[in-house]
Order: sequence, then structure tokens, then C-alpha cells
Amino acid sequence: MAHDAAGAVGARLSPQVDSLIRAAQRGDQEAFEQLVRAYDQSVLRLAMNLLRSPEDARDVYQEAFLRVYRNLQSFRFDCSFHTWLYRIVTNICLDQLRKRKVRKEEPAVVETSEGPIDRMEAFEEDAAEADPERSMWNLQLKQKIEGALQDLTPRERMVFELRHYQGLRLRNIGEMLGTTEEAAKNCLFRATQKMRSVLGDFV
Amino acid sequence: MTCDSVSKLIPLYFYAELPPDEEDRVEQHLHECQACAREMERQRSLAAALDIRHTEIPPRLLGDCRADLMAAIQGGAPRREPAKGPWTLFLEALGGTFAGMVRVRQPVGAMALIALGFVAARFTGVTPGHSGLTTAGLGPSDEVFSTVRSVQPDNGGRVQIAFDETHRKVVSGNMDDENIRRLLLAAAHEQNAAVRVESVDLLKGQAAEAEVRDALLNAVAHDSNDGVRLKALEGLKPFAADPAVSKTLAQVLLTDHNDAVRMQVVDLLVARRDDSTVGVLQNVVQREENNYVRLKCEKALKDMNASIGTF
Repeated sequence: MAHDAAGAVGARLSPQVDSLIRAAQRGDQEAFEQLVRAYDQSVLRLAMNLLRSPEDARDVYQEAFLRVYRNLQSFRFDCSFHTWLYRIVTNICLDQLRKRKVRKEEPAVVETSEGPIDRMEAFEEDAAEADPERSMWNLQLKQKIEGALQDLTPRERMVFELRHYQGLRLRNIGEMLGTTEEAAKNCLFRATQKMRSVLGDFV
Repeated sequence: MTCDSVSKLIPLYFYAELPPDEEDRVEQHLHECQACAREMERQRSLAAALDIRHTEIPPRLLGDCRADLMAAIQGGAPRREPAKGPWTLFLEALGGTFAGMVRVRQPVGAMALIALGFVAARFTGVTPGHSGLTTAGLGPSDEVFSTVRSVQPDNGGRVQIAFDETHRKVVSGNMDDENIRRLLLAAAHEQNAAVRVESVDLLKGQAAEAEVRDALLNAVAHDSNDGVRLKALEGLKPFAADPAVSKTLAQVLLTDHNDAVRMQVVDLLVARRDDSTVGVLQNVVQREENNYVRLKCEKALKDMNASIGTF
């Protein structure tokens, strides 16, 4: 299970984060920069995991932190900054996922004259494994997983991502997505069922 | 607890999302029921299999993102601005010229709203009505920013001050309006990166016009902001076959420091499998650090039966 990296950072640094936020709200640019740096790696990882495209992840990063910059004055400390930030980030990512659903596009895979190539594979430098059979099996499994994840609705995809890969609690996820813990539970259950039905042969 | 109800709780049990009493009951059941224990095992293997999927963040992406953000902020991205329609731009040093346009065109459809401003070194704060000030037209409601160019006292105790002044104007019009396009072309050279990003974003749909295409080429080759170059590239996509465009793109592929830009460019160039790009692609294969870009070039060279090296 993934480790709750972002949440842990947020909790551990809470007093420092609070003072950074207050300084940034007073217009301290350096404090804002430090605030961004405390969270931006987990934001970028989330966007990359969900969208699998460096260009789209970059757009999400830019839009999310610009919104934070513009609206920081309205942050009233009534929830954690992490939750507030992730509300913004998940909204932007959900919009992107919905657009893709409409366009039926998968930008991570590029059609070429030699069939589709996965743009992300190009980044995975440890792709070559000693055992070719195992390597082939892993490749097939990865493709199956991608397919299964794409079959989820954007909301199921988001809940699954936040719970399984980012390690956040469902209560927190519900808060970020503007819904109840119960609804997030249902989403996670549906997502798991769908994944199991697609990946049944592999696991 | 029945097997049916337990199987519904297994994912939540696995993710430790059940209340303690329910968790105890599921655990009890799993000890007693082999079929459900196997289900739980399948849930574990599913989760383990899913962990094989890990996404690498390309090196430099984080640095590029941070640089983009700081450029946008330091470039003056509006802070807590109320919504102002599709976009708002602040241009430097464009006073008066388009003064009449506000009433000339009514905004229809894709409307462009441009705020013209002059950000000067100093705001003079001159108020009218002070004894002997002969400059006309300075009203308290005008936003006048100015730079004092010269100060010359005469013998009679008076002083002559020369200063530049610019009034902020707002013009709006359709995207296909020639005056609007001229303003956007000027805005694409602004110092403010946020203005350039917005302008190029709007211009990119009009790359069929030669002057717009030239501006996009200029942006993609010379703009210091990654966001601007990426937007300009989007606009140039349909014109990759144009010799001037492909020449600039080849140059960008060899010199641009940004991975995302080079990845976009390589896609455009190799899609055409044009023999004239062979030299560039070979060059890229030799020096490119980014795997995606290098692999695409190698693939294109193979397709064109060209050697990978320049030996």
C-alpha cells in the first residue's frame, strides 16, 4: 500500500505550514515559494499518475498553484491546507479525465506506423529485465492495468488513485471531493470490483 | 456474518477503512471460512499487482514546473482578480492609438478584452488646478503614469517639466478583427510572461495568417518562457510541412532546454518522415539526453532507412 506521503508531510509540518501560509497571505513571495515546494512533488506525482502525460501534468501543476496563489487570501484554516490544495488539484484533474472520456483519447499511448507505443515506457529506464518471459508478462500486466484504470469513471479513478496509490484515508478523500465518506467507500468498492473483473486472469 | 456481506466488505477491510467492530467481525469470518479467505488473498494479489504500475516523473519536469509558476507569478499573474471574461491583458506603452475602438465594435461571440496599461518608473501624482500648470486634460479620474524626461527651470522662477504620459484604454473586439490581432501580436512581445502566454494562446488558432505564423515561429525559437513556447508549438502543428516552420522546429529540437518542448517538436518532425530532417535527427540521436526524444528520432531514422550515426 502506498505511504501517505503528502498527508504525513502536511501533518508533520503543520505549525510551519501555518506560518508559511500566513506569511504568503501577507504577500511574502518567498514564503509562498516554500509552501509550493512543501507540496508540489506530491501534486505532480498525482497528476502524472492520473494523466500519464508530462505535458498535462505540467498544465495541472501550473493551474493548481496559480489558483492557490490567487485565492490564498480566502483560505481560513477551517480545513488542513493539504485538503484545501487537493480540492483544487483533484478538481482540475477530474476535468481533464472527463475531457478525455469525451474525446476517448489516451495521450499516454501514441499511434505510430509500427503500432502504438507508450510514451511513458520511454521514461522507464529499468524496462529491460533479465528474464524476457517475466518482462513480457509484466508488460502485458501493465497494459491490462492501464486498460482497467481507463474503464473506471473519472470519480472512481480519482478515489482509487487517492486511496491505493496516494494512501489517503477515505474520510479525507470525501472531504476533498466534496462528498461523504460513505460515497467514497462506494466508489472504492466499485472501482475494486471493476479492476478485479478485468485483471482476473493476472492475479 | 454471511459470505455475501463479507465479500462486499473485503476491499474496505483490505484498505483498513472499516469501523473497528465491523473489522473484528470480518476478521472472525475470514478465520472460519476458507472461500472468503481465498477472496481476501485475491484482493491482496490484486493490490500487489497494481503496485507494479509506477509512474516516473521525468527528470527536470519538477524544475520546469517550478520555473513556469514563478515566471507566471513574478510576471504579474493577477492576484485575487475578479473574473473578467475570457482574458485580460495589460500592455505596456500602447497609448492612444486604438482610442476609438471601444465604440467601433460591439463584442460578439469570441470576445477579446484588452486592458492597455502603461507601467512606468514613477507615478507623478500631478493634480490639475495647481497654480500655473498649463498641461490640459489631466483629470483626477484619469490613470496617468509617467516618466519625467527633463526638468528646466527658467529665470522667472518657473520650471518646465517634460514627461511621457500614457492613459489606460480598454478595447474589445472579435478575434478576427485586424486591430485586435495587431494588439495581440504586440502583446506576444510583452515583458510580462503571463501576457505572452495568453496572447500566443489566442493567436495559435490563427496560424494560417502569415504574420501570425511568423510571430509563433519567433516565440517558439526565442521566447524565454516554456509555456509560451509550448503554446506557440500547438499553433504551428498544422503547418509542420511548411519549410520555414520545419527549419525553425529543427533548430528548436537541437537547442531547446525544455524536455516537453523537444518532445512536442520531435513528434511534429518525425511524423513527416522527411528526408531533409535526417541530418538533424542524427544529430539529436548523438546528443539528446531525453529517452523519449532520442528513441523517436532513432525510430524515424530506421523507418527512413537512414543510419543512426553521422559517422
